[in-house]
Amino acid sequence: MNKSINSFFTLLTLIIFSACSSVQVTEEAVADQSVAGVSITSKSTATQAVLANAVVYFEYDRFNLTSKSIQALKGVSELMKRNSKITISIEGHADERGTREYNLALGQRRAESVANYLVANGINRNRLITKSYGEERPLSLGSNDTAWSKNRRVEIK
Amino acid sequence: MKKNLVLVALLLVPVMGYGELFLEITKGSEDPYKVAMIPFEGNSKVSKQVNNIMRNDLIRTGEFSILDEELLLPVKMIDDELVFSDWKLLGMDYLVTGKIVNENNSLDINYEIYDIHKKRKVRSSKVFGIPNQIRQLAHYTSDGIYESITGIKGIAATRLLYVNEIKDSQLISRYKLMLADSDGANEKILLSSSEPIISPSWSPDGKRVAYVSFETGIAKVFIQEIASGKREAVLSKDTQISSPSWSPDGKYLSLTLYQDGNAEIYILRLRDRTLTRMTNQFAIDTESSWSPRGNKILFTSGRSGSPQIYELDLRKLNPKAKRISFEGTYNAKASYLPNEEGIIFVHRSNDGLFHIALKYKKENFIRVLTEAKMDESPSVAPNGNMVIYGIREENLSMLAGFSLSGAKFKLPASNGEVREPAWSNFLR
Repeated sequence: MNKSINSFFTLLTLIIFSACSSVQVTEEAVADQSVAGVSITSKSTATQAVLANAVVYFEYDRFNLTSKSIQALKGVSELMKRNSKITISIEGHADERGTREYNLALGQRRAESVANYLVANGINRNRLITKSYGEERPLSLGSNDTAWSKNRRVEIK
Repeated sequence: MKKNLVLVALLLVPVMGYGELFLEITKGSEDPYKVAMIPFEGNSKVSKQVNNIMRNDLIRTGEFSILDEELLLPVKMIDDELVFSDWKLLGMDYLVTGKIVNENNSLDINYEIYDIHKKRKVRSSKVFGIPNQIRQLAHYTSDGIYESITGIKGIAATRLLYVNEIKDSQLISRYKLMLADSDGANEKILLSSSEPIISPSWSPDGKRVAYVSFETGIAKVFIQEIASGKREAVLSKDTQISSPSWSPDGKYLSLTLYQDGNAEIYILRLRDRTLTRMTNQFAIDTESSWSPRGNKILFTSGRSGSPQIYELDLRKLNPKAKRISFEGTYNAKASYLPNEEGIIFVHRSNDGLFHIALKYKKENFIRVLTEAKMDESPSVAPNGNMVIYGIREENLSMLAGFSLSGAKFKLPASNGEVREPAWSNFLR
């Protein structure tokens, strides 16, 4: 199974163009192809009970906060001010439309929008961890406007 | 030489079901080469399998109409010369004959190709290996036939990477990074994980893969050796890292790093893991991809207010990003054709649907090449003639492909969903 990478391809190719006719004559040996698989089960990151749980939603293709989001975030920042020990994880998500990598970056922009709002409201940046899951963790599995609007979100944990 | 004929009778023929993917050829070229393939002689089951694989490989390219077996004539030879007139009457362009020798734990395929119009043999070849390499032997043979007739290198012996997601009864997902032959057969698991895997990318020599795994809780790029399974994170930094693309010389990876809170493109030198920052912009910059000669990088940027494709010329000191997509409000995930004459990318049409599009450098318009709703992640075959990409059908992701000559095929999974295909380089 653990063959060295050097021995794994023993490829021999020989191409002979015969000199006197236009027939192409070739000979080649097929390469060996070994494969070893790896399995991972990540420990479920048990979310500690946090008082500041909240979800805010975004428009399609956008990462600016809506007035409704700002209301929810006011609550979060108040809580964090009252409980100076709370640190939060801010996870950005996108709906399934568009490319996966761009959506990963878009989810991050959404998380940063939330973080920037909290920092502007007096929360220390060190208490905030931002990350993105892009479109990889939809809340709703459908392919329609309702599902998409639920998936374009930032989860505060 | 190619003649117009009614669409070949290969519409919707389910071809084979090895492993977890099923290859379905849904449409062939409308102007195929007409080829008579005499089933290669051989006394074992092996011969039958080889003949099937080759036939399917050639049909899948979309460039051939293979004569029905019942219509084949006996091959007549006079003084070692093929009698061409019979095949000419049948309207054939080429005749392929061969034999399979399976003895002493060695498997050899000898084959010959005749040009009916020029009335001469154009190729005489031998492919050899061992019996458990039967699929590869057949693929090498069909690539030889394809190249001899079309003048383009065949891709049957190349391989695919893709991501498979299966949900259990509690809707808990298992993600797998898969490796398969270009026809979906011979499927192998490279990585199985409880967390998402995205953006697989081949090393140019086909021996290693890079991909994004969320196993640590955030996006991280890993490199894994295919043969040994040995893997490592490319950087020990505690930042999100994504979107790996291997330079054509194998010495660098371009990546997206989120260390400033925003997606920026960097080039990582693998030898000493030094990083060079390539973009510095308030907007998103991601999805980098190298030009085949390694002197340019394409990427997606949101700097104009919507995702568009930009190009960086690495030969210049402090290169300035040049915007190269202008049609529509969403163009992303671009890659160059192997001859650098154009780019393939994801384009959102005015109706809001996502399609795969092609833009040639010398044309000032784009060609939309697919017609489903949510087409994504196009990957170009190393011969530049085929594209594989992800589609959604009835809420399931599967793979589909097309050739630039108009053929189409699908690779649905028998279990769960498949997406994020990446086509290897030539492996022979």
